[in-house]
Amino acid sequence: MLEFPEFIHFPLAEWIDAIMHWVLTNWGVFFDAVGDSILLVLLYIERFLLWMPWFVAVLLVGLLAWRVMRHWLAGVVMAAFLIVIGSFGYWDLSMMTLAIIIAAVIISLAVGIPVGIIMAKNNRVEAIIRPVLDAMQTMPSFVYLIPALMLFGLGKVPAVFATIIYAVPPVIRLTNVGIRQVPQSIVEAAQAFGSNGRQVLFEVQIPLAIPSIMVGINQTTMMALAMVVIASMIGARGLGLEVLLSINRIEVGRGFEAGLSIVLLAIIIDRITHAMAARQEYTISS
Amino acid sequence: MSDKGLATADEVCVEVSGLWKIFGHNPEAILESEETRTAAKETLHEETGCVVAVRDVSFKVNKGELFVIMGLSGSGKSTLIRCVLRLIEPTAGKILINGEDVCGYDNKQLINLRRHSTGMIFQHFGLFPHRSVLDNAAYGLKVRGVAKEKRYEIAREVLNKVGLKGWENYLPSALSGGMQQRVGIARALANDPDILLMDEPFSGLDPLIRRQMQDELIALQSEVHKTILFVTHDLDEALKLGNHVAIMKDGDIIQMGTPEEVITSPINGYVRSFVQDASPTKVVTASSIMEQPNVLLYEWQGPKAAMHLLRTNHLDEVFMVDRAGKLRGLVTLERLIELFRKGEESLAGAVDTDFVTATADAVLEDLFPLAASTGHPIAVVDEDGKFLGEIFDSTIMISLIQGRGEEDTGSTTTRANGKDENL
Repeated sequence: MLEFPEFIHFPLAEWIDAIMHWVLTNWGVFFDAVGDSILLVLLYIERFLLWMPWFVAVLLVGLLAWRVMRHWLAGVVMAAFLIVIGSFGYWDLSMMTLAIIIAAVIISLAVGIPVGIIMAKNNRVEAIIRPVLDAMQTMPSFVYLIPALMLFGLGKVPAVFATIIYAVPPVIRLTNVGIRQVPQSIVEAAQAFGSNGRQVLFEVQIPLAIPSIMVGINQTTMMALAMVVIASMIGARGLGLEVLLSINRIEVGRGFEAGLSIVLLAIIIDRITHAMAARQEYTISS
Repeated sequence: MSDKGLATADEVCVEVSGLWKIFGHNPEAILESEETRTAAKETLHEETGCVVAVRDVSFKVNKGELFVIMGLSGSGKSTLIRCVLRLIEPTAGKILINGEDVCGYDNKQLINLRRHSTGMIFQHFGLFPHRSVLDNAAYGLKVRGVAKEKRYEIAREVLNKVGLKGWENYLPSALSGGMQQRVGIARALANDPDILLMDEPFSGLDPLIRRQMQDELIALQSEVHKTILFVTHDLDEALKLGNHVAIMKDGDIIQMGTPEEVITSPINGYVRSFVQDASPTKVVTASSIMEQPNVLLYEWQGPKAAMHLLRTNHLDEVFMVDRAGKLRGLVTLERLIELFRKGEESLAGAVDTDFVTATADAVLEDLFPLAASTGHPIAVVDEDGKFLGEIFDSTIMISLIQGRGEEDTGSTTTRANGKDENL
């Protein structure tokens, strides 16, 4: 009597299974195509990163950090971080991880920025997308692995797909916010001089939203990095898998090295993209 | 004063009639009944939730004229000027620009109008912070599709005109407020529009810079002769710049006329409370207070005829003009008598050239020192030296007193709206 009655049964799990089954049988071709294009992007990036001599990569990271952060020490520190990762014997693995991140970020931006723009232009679209984004960000990241696994099987493609889903909300949000934050007076001035909708968007709103979009890109990249570790559970090789293995085998030292490599990679990516975002600031007079 | 700087008078450039702007849901309902049309703003807001920003406003702006819309914040003046370009969509009414109904325009025509016929200048400048001064000035040409070389050339030219040579490659944020507004003016001028819309362009500037910019606008206007719709909350600015002034309150134009008319005969307490601080000495012009003399001497008249005229009119001095109506001098009774005794046939010897003249647009302030410097009346002449009228010391005094205390008289254009606007 005190237990929850069995006849109140909501078969959500069955429904979702049915939907997934239906999607797989009817949309299989579509998802194969999506998977293939993700793989294509990923493989090119991965091949390039693995082909690139290590010292070239170190040099490039050092120079880039120096340029965007405007301090030589920053360049040296970032380059040194990369050498530390290599010294753990994780060069190739970290490049694989980086490839997944870059692929996921590129696709996230390609999807996220246009969605953010549409969201900023249309209040109704914003009202629909906003709760979806909230749900996406509150959902435990493991959950994304299941549909990714079902749609794409094991491997790198579902890892990139899950990473995209996890990482895309910030860039959508911040593109939306960035465009909405452009002062109405400036948009009005553009309109008063006869700009059409496209001109207002590309001449004024997007350029002025760039600082905010850059912050979005930075956050999306960091989210992608966080997700990549989790995505290793469905078979993506890289630093994440290394952490996972060392947990399973209780190898503390190995796990620590792999974990530290991820942290260093995160710092390098974060500092550089953050500095790029900060450089885009304009002073808007009022 | 209304004819100051008018290129071609009476050619209407902008005509607004029965314009309404109501913010809120179902504003048409308010327009349907006479009761709600005339109801107070607050009552309407309580009953319908709608805010009436512009209420049944009509006015005409002639070509080449500077028309000032003056009102305090919340009076609807900024909404009104935006409605003219349909930056804010009017609820009802008609807007004719160069004879064409702007409200009937589709999107393409509207953009065309904004690209070619109008230029707008904003209170907060509305500059694009990510573009250089040059790119800002060239923006209107860019959206119009003018090639880069050409638009930069024009932009450089207008930047030069507003005194910003050498600042082309700076970002707006590097410039002071006054300079930023010059960029705003340059941006509007670059399109070479017929009509300039200025929404409190100088309100955000320091008083000193503001005055300087006003003077520059006057100088610029005398050069370019644009039709200007100028919004301000500053009465002094309105009186200084405007050929005509419309005073707005609660979305309504409550008085319209030349600056002089507004200041000498405020329509009600509200306007009077504004203008009582403004000194008539700055707006009342010589042409408005001068008198047509009863007697005027002509060059060819003899001393005898002159004596007769003076005696019958009980005068002791009179102005003399030539055939073209040009002022020749002042003839006094004293000198005439002398001439008469000597038995001379010509008036030439009695002409005193030591007289004081003023132009028709000289204001009272300018007339005081003139009056003090001479014991004779001041002659009002036009640019060619043609005699227009005369002003006595007493006339100046009287106009000074009248300017402050007079009730609803004079030729001020007012709008009868069927309600008492006295406060």
